[in-house]
Amino acid sequence: MAAAFCLGGLALRHGERVNGVWLIVAAACAFSTGYRFYGKFVAARVLTLDDGRATPAERLRNGQDFEPTNKWILFGHHFAAIAGPGPLVGPVLAAQFGYLPGALWIIIGAVLGGAVQDFIILFASMRRDGKSLGQMVREEIGKAAGFTALITVLIIMVIMLAVMALVVVNALKGSPWGAFTIAATMPIAVFMGLYLRYWRPGKVLECSAIGFGMLLAAIFGGRAVADSAVLAPWFTLSALALAAALIVYGFLASALPVWLLLAPRGYLSTFVKLGVILMLAAGILFVRPQLQLAAFTRFVDGSGPIFAGRIFPFCFITIACGAVSGFHSLIASGTTPKMIAHEGHALPIGYGAMLAESFVAIMALIAACTLQPGVYFAVNSPAGVVGAAPAAAAATISSWGFPVTEAQMAELARDAGERTLFARTGGAPSLALGMARIFAGGFGSAGRALIGFWYHFAIMFEALFILTLIDTGTRVGRFMLQDFLGHMWRPLGRTSWMPGVVAASAAIVAAWGYLLIQGVRDPLGGINSLWPLFGIANQLLAAIALCLATTILLKTHGARYLWISAVPLAWLVTVTFTAALQKIFSPSPALGFLAQASQLEASLRAGAAGEKAATARTLLFNARLDAAVCGVLLLLVTVILADSLRVWIEILRGAEEPRLSETPFVPTQLGTEGL
Amino acid sequence: MRRLRRLGRLAWEVLRELADERPYQRGLKAQGRRHSAEEWRRFTERRYEARFKQPKCC
Repeated sequence: MAAAFCLGGLALRHGERVNGVWLIVAAACAFSTGYRFYGKFVAARVLTLDDGRATPAERLRNGQDFEPTNKWILFGHHFAAIAGPGPLVGPVLAAQFGYLPGALWIIIGAVLGGAVQDFIILFASMRRDGKSLGQMVREEIGKAAGFTALITVLIIMVIMLAVMALVVVNALKGSPWGAFTIAATMPIAVFMGLYLRYWRPGKVLECSAIGFGMLLAAIFGGRAVADSAVLAPWFTLSALALAAALIVYGFLASALPVWLLLAPRGYLSTFVKLGVILMLAAGILFVRPQLQLAAFTRFVDGSGPIFAGRIFPFCFITIACGAVSGFHSLIASGTTPKMIAHEGHALPIGYGAMLAESFVAIMALIAACTLQPGVYFAVNSPAGVVGAAPAAAAATISSWGFPVTEAQMAELARDAGERTLFARTGGAPSLALGMARIFAGGFGSAGRALIGFWYHFAIMFEALFILTLIDTGTRVGRFMLQDFLGHMWRPLGRTSWMPGVVAASAAIVAAWGYLLIQGVRDPLGGINSLWPLFGIANQLLAAIALCLATTILLKTHGARYLWISAVPLAWLVTVTFTAALQKIFSPSPALGFLAQASQLEASLRAGAAGEKAATARTLLFNARLDAAVCGVLLLLVTVILADSLRVWIEILRGAEEPRLSETPFVPTQLGTEGL
Repeated sequence: MRRLRRLGRLAWEVLRELADERPYQRGLKAQGRRHSAEEWRRFTERRYEARFKQPKCC
């Protein structure tokens, strides 16, 4: 009732300022209702979770990977693994349509789609000794689908790394304070690595507390660096220089020993992430900020400056993590199913953790929407759209009906300790601004003086776990590539053979690095082309996971409960295919890659010369490459869909005996004490 | 008050799990070994190898 009342209030009362707490209450109540009724229905009737059946954690217990674990501890573990920067950045970008479309998609998408996907995949993996998504697709659907899923995951990983790196680059370009703080996290992580390895082995929490103290010192130090005439130029980096630094970092992180950099950074990132999410929740409830953006903006028609495309399908592509994320299926078929003590725990962990992540997405949306609309668009709109000069940008944005002045932006930049906040695309700076205002709001009139600290704290928080994603992702991508290449030439598959390690690391870094540089050089800011590509890729992976879920439900119950995964699957296929086809073939150069290529070709034919011609040729190649990547993804998912359809039709016609590759039933001997 | 204390204990245990301190203690107990720098190194090598072969979510 409370959810309906709050959602109704938000949807129907236009023109009135709305408090962020309305959204929080609406989401919390909708998620509780979804969990209590829909989640439990799926658990009891569809998946028939059986607490009397021994899980892999019990049967294969080895004290390492397979270990029965307390459900709330495992919930924390799983939540920390699925909640990345996606649910923070996506909703901020989608706020260009207003707060309501994103909020509704997050709430409805998570309850009926995302949480269902995570839950069913976790359940399926738990019933198959913790097998991965690729292995399950191969066994339940077929070899072609399994192989295609592997390639799709690799491509998606490359796109994800590029787009996340671009978010960091855009947040740190021309910001000595931010660049110093993030640079300082590297020696801090190395110090922590050495501390844990040689000085105090096993004392991870103690070491992380010291590391966190050093991080705070680095944020304060960053202000001094930004104010120093000598040091500031060293840390005032262009987007291209930052991209190069990230590429080198990604390569080193992929080849260096894990204990030295990746592991300590991972610990620190996890704790900071959980702490900041709790702080943000407390901040919103305490400050009760007003949403400044309207429920809908004029950009639902597709003319938005942040990214091109209408509300359908692009709102549903922009917010992937937070509503439905295919990447979660990789986590739900990774470590978590090997640690579940009782089958009943899969509901709070699989379904519940996804709802918790969606709650984070709602908080990010609130933080962005508390900014004045003119400020929000000034920060997020690329210079290529609104103009490079502050006066021109302010005039363009004001002409859209979102008043903002140059002086207002200059004052805001001063408060935040930045030189400018115009055209800081990517979502991270506007989220950091929104968070900084919420955090500073808790300190009353003294809060304004703290905006600079909180802004850079939020930037550090976002960059820290994006970098964790980049270093881990590059390494994982390297393993996947080596695994793949090992089938062609065995030595390349050996993770201990240095030439193979270096070659595979270089190939992965080169792939995402190329896309990153392309994004940096894009006159429309890169996010316009790369974020939708990432959203499409992520949702296509969700389509693969839902194909598997549908196959399993069909084999278990026939057509009876097919709708549970088939409806979200049909929606995702419609959304992603529409978005992908529009991104490739739309006649608008702002939206369609091929139209953009044609426009560039025309400018070359018209006689562009010198550096301008060279840039146009690069952009032309990039537009065609993006179209090709989009097309390949569509093709790969079509293969999996076709293979799945073949299996479904055979089952429904009764031509094939449904054969599930679940492990046989073994009664549990495990008690409930401490679990 | 008791509930609060229980919640605090649970939060602490979640942190120890995320910090790998709990799995490490579990592993030592299961194998009947005692903590040492060498044991920690052995544990983390296995643990990190498995962890950093898994993708992280966006």
